[in-house]
Amino acid sequence: MRPRDTGLRHNALVYESQDEYLARAVPFLKEGIEAGEGAIVAHTKPGLAMMREELGPYAAQVTFVDVSSAYTRPAQTLAAYHKVYAEQLQKTQTLRTVADVQFGPDPGEWDLWTGYEAVFNRSFSHLPAWVICSYNANGTPDPIIESVWQTHPEVIADETWNTSDRYEDPDELLRRVTPAPALLPELRSIPFGRDAEEFRERLARELAAEEVSDAKALDMIVAATEIFSNAVEHGGGVEEVRVGRADGRFVCEVLDRGPGFDDPAAGYLAPRPGVGRGLWVARQLTWRIEFLSSPGGFTARIWL
Amino acid sequence: MVQQRLTAAHERDLVIAAECGDPAACRELVEAFLPNIVGLARGFRGAHAEQQELLQEGVAGLLFAARRYDAGLSTPFWAYASFWVRKAMQEFVAEVTRPVVLSDRAVRDLARIRNARREYQQTYRTDPTAEELGRATGLTRAQLESLQATERAPRAMDEQVAAGSESTATVGDTIVDPAAEEAYQQVLDELEIGYLRDLTEELDERERAVVRAHYGLGEEQQSLSEIGAGLGLTAERARQIEVSALRKLRERLAQLGPLAGDTI
Repeated sequence: MRPRDTGLRHNALVYESQDEYLARAVPFLKEGIEAGEGAIVAHTKPGLAMMREELGPYAAQVTFVDVSSAYTRPAQTLAAYHKVYAEQLQKTQTLRTVADVQFGPDPGEWDLWTGYEAVFNRSFSHLPAWVICSYNANGTPDPIIESVWQTHPEVIADETWNTSDRYEDPDELLRRVTPAPALLPELRSIPFGRDAEEFRERLARELAAEEVSDAKALDMIVAATEIFSNAVEHGGGVEEVRVGRADGRFVCEVLDRGPGFDDPAAGYLAPRPGVGRGLWVARQLTWRIEFLSSPGGFTARIWL
Repeated sequence: MVQQRLTAAHERDLVIAAECGDPAACRELVEAFLPNIVGLARGFRGAHAEQQELLQEGVAGLLFAARRYDAGLSTPFWAYASFWVRKAMQEFVAEVTRPVVLSDRAVRDLARIRNARREYQQTYRTDPTAEELGRATGLTRAQLESLQATERAPRAMDEQVAAGSESTATVGDTIVDPAAEEAYQQVLDELEIGYLRDLTEELDERERAVVRAHYGLGEEQQSLSEIGAGLGLTAERARQIEVSALRKLRERLAQLGPLAGDTI
């Protein structure tokens, strides 16, 4: 199979044994290298050691990425991969990647990472990359393996390539798995001034009052500036700003006067012409960003 | 050391602060869960890994869990974190011990080398040369060297510390009792957070001074007029510096990668 030169190809490999993983991953990368493509392996440290050995002399042309601390929050993981891909695409016109995905033990967060896999299709849709996400069938819970078919258009399972008949539109899947945000009555309304400048000054005061660390306070100021600017430019102006603590985190809500928007992938699309970068930046700096319609107006909520 | 008991609210706040990279919170969190980490590390006794290193890997797993843990989930933190702690230790053990690291094929190749060497020794009463091993196994010299490098026997837990030594202590005995204060202290002393992001590091000195003063980061919050006066600038110039600093941070975080249309 040839990679497309103009867009993402996002597949999954469900493997039963180490041999099966190697039998797929190694020739896949070698073929790419021989055709002048970039090659990336993302895996745990022992997985990388194994691949280095199996790739032999080809290993010198492969970028090895340790994923042991990469899968923290979806937006940050996407940003980390974007950096790796961008650097590789400075050197080669196309790239191939085999990435071992790190789902956690808690069923409560599986939807979050299924959403990550779904939005990956849109996040990097513009990149000339062929990415195979690998899943070890042994030890990976069935619901996760099932979700692989919903988030990857093609899946290698039982040693054969399959076009997934369960693949879901990424936006639809994201809407389905993203919990509806609840209202947070514990937040308080604050004066936000006449412009972004005064908004930042006031927000900084609130962050100091809540004893948020300096580094995190600046993260919030930069992220909130993006949200505030969006409300001014696209939301008909800022109606209200609310801040406070919820579930132990500092939260800032910016309510605007516009009709709002419904794009579950907002802020998850890697920067490219025609795609706003503000929400991408804001998501990288914060724990979570939610959008909801509340009685006071369309609301962007930033969790620090 | 007595395990600290955290209230649910304090534990949550600690995990959130640790997620943000707060060194004091990371340390307190690690201190609170070190006995649990030690407990998991005991399960790896005999796995050819030094206990101290295992603990450090476990601590890294705990801090990773803190970066990912959502307090909104119904799972208690340790129930969540223990998976990542164990995983970090398993991966460490897999990395430092040959049989787990090697692929199935490499293990088979190694077995072929060992068999060929044994047969040669039995036949000729001497060790085979690399060429002879290569002929016997069909492996290239590079493959042989690579595989034989992994043959280095890991030190077993019950192996004597030094052959011929009067001491009968084993490696296992020399490992500090993990419950000992010293072991805890060493782990805490070597605690590496490593992921605290400070955006001001992306700024030049003047930009940093304006941003820190205007937002009250580590100092009293000042107006742009006050900041300008302190730096010998107008308030408007100070504002321009701040706007430029924020733009720089934004660009830094949103660097465009090369695009299909641009590069092909």
